[in-house]
Amino acid sequence: MSRQLLVPLLDQVRFKREQLKDRLPTLPGTPLLFLSPFFLLFGVFLAIPVFYTFYLSFFTFQGVSTEALFAIDIGAYQIMIPEMANLQYVGLDNYRRLLTDSVFYQSLLNTAIIFVVQVPLMVALALGLALVLNAAYTRYKGIFRSLLLLPVSANTVAYSAVFIVIAAEGGIADIALGAVGISPIDWLSDGFWARNLVAFMSVWRWTGYNMIIILAGLQTISPSLYEAAEIGGATKIQKFRHITLPQLKPIMLFVFVTTTIGVFKKFAEPMIVISSGGPINETRTIVYYIWQVAFQNLELGYGSALTVALVAIIMTLSLIQFKVS
Amino acid sequence: MHEKLEKEALWQFGGYGFLVAVTMVMMFPIYWVVVASTLPQSAIFAGGAGELPRLIPGSNFLANAEALAARPEVDFYRSMLNSLVIAVVYTGLALLFCSMGGFALAKYDFKYKRTLFMGILGTLLLPTNLLVIPLFLLVSNMGLSNSYWAVILPWAAYPLGIFFMKQAMQSIPDSLLEAARMDGASEFQLYYRVVLPSMKSSLAALAVILFLFQWNLFLWPLVVLREGKYTIPVAISKIMSNDMIAYDQLMVASAMAIVPMFVVFILLQRHFVNGILGGAVKE
Repeated sequence: MSRQLLVPLLDQVRFKREQLKDRLPTLPGTPLLFLSPFFLLFGVFLAIPVFYTFYLSFFTFQGVSTEALFAIDIGAYQIMIPEMANLQYVGLDNYRRLLTDSVFYQSLLNTAIIFVVQVPLMVALALGLALVLNAAYTRYKGIFRSLLLLPVSANTVAYSAVFIVIAAEGGIADIALGAVGISPIDWLSDGFWARNLVAFMSVWRWTGYNMIIILAGLQTISPSLYEAAEIGGATKIQKFRHITLPQLKPIMLFVFVTTTIGVFKKFAEPMIVISSGGPINETRTIVYYIWQVAFQNLELGYGSALTVALVAIIMTLSLIQFKVS
Repeated sequence: MHEKLEKEALWQFGGYGFLVAVTMVMMFPIYWVVVASTLPQSAIFAGGAGELPRLIPGSNFLANAEALAARPEVDFYRSMLNSLVIAVVYTGLALLFCSMGGFALAKYDFKYKRTLFMGILGTLLLPTNLLVIPLFLLVSNMGLSNSYWAVILPWAAYPLGIFFMKQAMQSIPDSLLEAARMDGASEFQLYYRVVLPSMKSSLAALAVILFLFQWNLFLWPLVVLREGKYTIPVAISKIMSNDMIAYDQLMVASAMAIVPMFVVFILLQRHFVNGILGGAVKE
């Protein structure tokens, strides 16, 4: 859901503007009644966990608790809310551990490398496809657009499995590379290539999605800008550099921010590569590591500290991207 | 002049070449999962002595599908049913809650509206599926773990959804609502007799997005569900963590997870694109 960032920001501006002029009905209770199911779930399953993650990061988890957090005894009825877990306060220990955890740094590095391989390739492909689909000469635009968008609907785990079969020893990838005279690549045992495989898989799945967004951006550029440039005798490349790219800037920013968040949340692809025997050290992403720490080692406190660190990293990167542009 | 035309033809040729080449590469995995699901395992990979994998469909689909059903560690067909039930119930509930909430935010004024609004705004910046650790404790405490509700409820308050509905509903003219009030409609009748029917395409767009979101959830179901309640992604990951992966069965499972969604997706694509763009490229 965090792939969507621009709207709320724009919406907020509109919201302020609206408050000044609009007079909407104020019926006591009614709007709250409409909002209550959403906010009940929002409060319990989103707001509380956000704060509880932060809280947990200062504790170690010692198992599920049976003790009462608070109990009321009113005659025939007893209300007991149990404690969430048996916790022991450790202060900043989890964060100290994190700073010297080489696996944490390695998984951060892996995530960053996947980002560096995936994003330029994907954005270049999406931009190129959008440009061709936006050109006047292109026929059958609808069909190409549909086909290229299809991967977005592919189940993440199922498509990862398909890529494993393609990349496995003796699979289609070997044959295809052999046909153009490249010797087979050990996609699933060589760390470098296994990590790239994760990046390439993601390119397959998300190129169409970003293409649609860039295409919509291209269609908002006023044709009069191009006409003026043509009168001035500009070449195609000049038009692209001096009109298309600057006009696309907000859209490209959106694509970069959402992709950054997407890459730092990556779990399904590395999980499938690792469970089919891939090299864990080079393909373990940060979310995979959090899952391992929290649900295989049951170190929920340390897992929470890692989560807090990851959220801080994602927020910082998004802010930097906003600032840079 | 002649030179200019020639140059233009070259651009077009290059553009088409690029488009067709990328489309073909992108389509290949989809083609391959369908073909591989009909082959015996030996034909999916190259054999010794330069024997190539088969690139055309075989006749092993039913045999593979039966072998998949007979797997001891995971009941794949049960997981398809689980995924379907969870995604359908989830989509219905989330659609209801998001549209009700969106209506309140779009068409009423009330105290703390701005505060509530900012609260949702804040979580949009967070990668919320990272909340699995506290959610796990919370859901276990409520006695919900290993149930459909454990996967449905936590994401039913989908922050993007309430934004999307609010924005769409702002386009409903206030005069229309006033007229209905004059006719004696209650506020709830207003919502389901006037507002919902005029929001059909926005509801469809959000429905496609919600359904896909739930259909693709992996980390959270993996953490909270046990065998019998597995969804498709979890079931496939269990097949893959077996020491001896049966690739032919795996391809049947993957094809069943991917192909039906493609058909649905092609039919509803217009709504999906509206959903993406309604969330991304307005103004």
